[in-house]
Amino acid sequence: MQFDAEKEIGKVLSGLRAAQREIGKTFYRWRQVALEYAGDGVEPLDVGLRAAEVFGKDVGKQLLPRLNWLKGEAAFLLNLGRALANLWQVDGGVATAEKGEKPTEVFIECTRDPWPTWAKEFDVPMQEVALTREKMLKSVLEDVSVFFNIPLDIEVEKAIPRGEGMWRIRLFKKEE
Amino acid sequence: MAKQLFEWDYSSYPGASTYPHLFKPIRIGNLIVPNRIKYAATEDNLNGRDGFVTDAGVAYMRERAKGVVGGLCFMQGVYMDEKRQGQGYVGQAACWDDKFVPGLKRIADAIHEEKAVAGFQLMDCGRVGAVDVEYGHGPSAVPQRLRIFRPVKEMSKDEIKEMIQQHVDAARRGIEAGFDIMEISGIVGYLVSNFISRYTNRRTDEYGGDIRGRMRAVVEIIQGVKAVCGSDVPLGIRLCAEELLDDVRGNTPDESMETYKIAEEAGVDYISVTLGWQESIYPVISRDIPMGNWIHLAKRAKEHVKVPVQMAYRLFRPDLPNKAIGAGELDQWEMCRSMIADPLMPKKVLEGKEDEIRHCVACNLCLARLFRDAPMTCYINPVCAHETNPEFADPQPAEDKKEIMIVGAGPAGLECAYMAAKRGHEVHVYDKRDNIGGTLNEARKAPYGDDELWTCVAYQQKMCELAGVTFHLGTEVTEDLISDELPDAVVLATGPEYPEFPGGPHANVVNLLDVMRENAQVGEKVVIWGNRKPGIGCALYLAKQGKKVTLVGREKTAGFDVNPSFKWRYMIYLRQNGVKAYNDCEIETITGEGIIIRTFDGYRIPVACDTIVNSDRAANEALKKVVQSEGIELFVIGDALVPRNLSSAVHDGYRIGMRI
Repeated sequence: MQFDAEKEIGKVLSGLRAAQREIGKTFYRWRQVALEYAGDGVEPLDVGLRAAEVFGKDVGKQLLPRLNWLKGEAAFLLNLGRALANLWQVDGGVATAEKGEKPTEVFIECTRDPWPTWAKEFDVPMQEVALTREKMLKSVLEDVSVFFNIPLDIEVEKAIPRGEGMWRIRLFKKEE
Repeated sequence: MAKQLFEWDYSSYPGASTYPHLFKPIRIGNLIVPNRIKYAATEDNLNGRDGFVTDAGVAYMRERAKGVVGGLCFMQGVYMDEKRQGQGYVGQAACWDDKFVPGLKRIADAIHEEKAVAGFQLMDCGRVGAVDVEYGHGPSAVPQRLRIFRPVKEMSKDEIKEMIQQHVDAARRGIEAGFDIMEISGIVGYLVSNFISRYTNRRTDEYGGDIRGRMRAVVEIIQGVKAVCGSDVPLGIRLCAEELLDDVRGNTPDESMETYKIAEEAGVDYISVTLGWQESIYPVISRDIPMGNWIHLAKRAKEHVKVPVQMAYRLFRPDLPNKAIGAGELDQWEMCRSMIADPLMPKKVLEGKEDEIRHCVACNLCLARLFRDAPMTCYINPVCAHETNPEFADPQPAEDKKEIMIVGAGPAGLECAYMAAKRGHEVHVYDKRDNIGGTLNEARKAPYGDDELWTCVAYQQKMCELAGVTFHLGTEVTEDLISDELPDAVVLATGPEYPEFPGGPHANVVNLLDVMRENAQVGEKVVIWGNRKPGIGCALYLAKQGKKVTLVGREKTAGFDVNPSFKWRYMIYLRQNGVKAYNDCEIETITGEGIIIRTFDGYRIPVACDTIVNSDRAANEALKKVVQSEGIELFVIGDALVPRNLSSAVHDGYRIGMRI
């Protein structure tokens, strides 16, 4: 039987793209449901931030078995940065993580982010997209910080939903 | 004044001269123990869900007490808090109230009736506890890496004091129940180890900080329990010599040795050397770890403390601890899994019956069961946890003596054969091979310790010899042979059939057994069809030869039939050896360059190969109709019934052997 590699890869890729589109839509569909149930007195941004926190905490727990300290602090931070960049990759974005000038910092850059597009379909303000991403990443770090006994934080230097062309996020170890 | 509870004279036993260091007395505190054997505290999930001791638990312990021939026999660690945060196993024994004392006394009495020293262990499971409640407790609220464990709440100082008092109270109850020696468990991630480890203890008060601070709670436990024990009841502690937690910034080996010295200063009479946590990413006790691999840790402990040092951990053979004790590297030989597999193991060593020992194969099924809230089971010992059931523990002679033909001398057939013969049947075992062992002859060639599986066949062979089983090796059982012999019963233990390869017959397809026997030409790029244990064993065997191996199979995950406590080892070895696995797949076509596989959801992937190894198995229907048509009683066991694993073969064989 003939094997048409282009056709097979195309099939896999189109399946992947469809699944990625569903990720964002599912998040915003649930946001809509949550707002309907929450009633008029609730700020949509608060709901979004709480959802981002829940997502981030769970992602953080998933990371615990995959991170380790065997190669020291700098390698640990870079691996963590790559894991955070990968969150965009699986959603269909383009992101990388690179060492910073200091051994205790890593920069995550995302040059293509599907979330603003998905948010637009559901009339979600771009400011909310920026803040929920930041909240999600900070929430990822909560358990990771405690588990490895290292105070971690992020700082958003640039954000696509703020019209700054790319995400640039500094992941760093806080001064103790 | 030191005392000895029971008199034992080993001088007339052959094992005492073969292993002189194992059968000489030792003083622990003020107790003289006549030998160096210890059945170490092992959870079994045989108690009631409320923590009360059951008949099954007592019977289980009695067998182990027989085995230690006067040595130490510890019951499982008890949890001590009514809130059950310290309970790590659904069937763990409890000791948080005096109401548990009568049940515990039954165990102490059973051990004493076998003239062994009864040991009592205090075990708050800490971080890996709270099996039936929402939150566990620990020195700090460090998140769990393994999701099967509950979240941990940080203990207040008052709660720490309460926990220490719980240890003291439980120790008093243990002594009231009649136990002779006390032990604190500080291993594998339980509460004591949580306090000791820098990984889980982040406290800034007096119970945290440097190693002395992290040991403070332990020291207070030791001192409190010691006060209850007095000079008559020795107190020991099990502590990690290495936590194997460097990936999460755990203690250094030097810090661990410091804990030994601090425990000794605090008053313990012995130290049991352990290593690794349940969360460790390194293997410690599975059969891929060579026997005796960890003795250097006991030696290191001996260099740091003066009290006796005990150790288990891959010491399944008596020569290893005997040598280590003789060399001054160890004082006492602990056993857990060895005596789960064969409760009389050390007794057989003493009696010079080593070839009658059913050896543990270090598969860790026992642990996998405990972690999944199931009663203890042994992969290799069908009687384990059935000690209270006379049908299992003491099979009676058959009422009707039969002539039994067993077809197949693999583990299922052999197990059935000796058991049936012991019960008085006339048993004939046939196999077309010239040797016994069935497909284990091939399976044992897989790397990472699988040769240890052969100990099962060696044991069965000896049992068959003692029971008077007659072997007809090199004899294929045919319709004519059955008609000629006309036995009263036939047991088909023929092993599996290897069904036709899904892509049809092909020149590049070879059978798994031929590969393992080195009877097949195998190229450099190999696809193994079948992602269960036989396929994995073959994949690793070939990958070790430098071949590029791809594992393809129908199961959703590779190693579906391997218990989770061992499966993670295989997954790592597959990865380390570059074996790619495609699961939940079918082979659609064989092409000139290899195969095309189809995933469950229809994606097609080409895999280049020059050889395909078929490891897929099916039930073996051969001879079934022949036997039935002759009106002969028929039993089908092992892989012939449903292809599974060695454990199923052994358990099938035993059960039919005791009932036929």
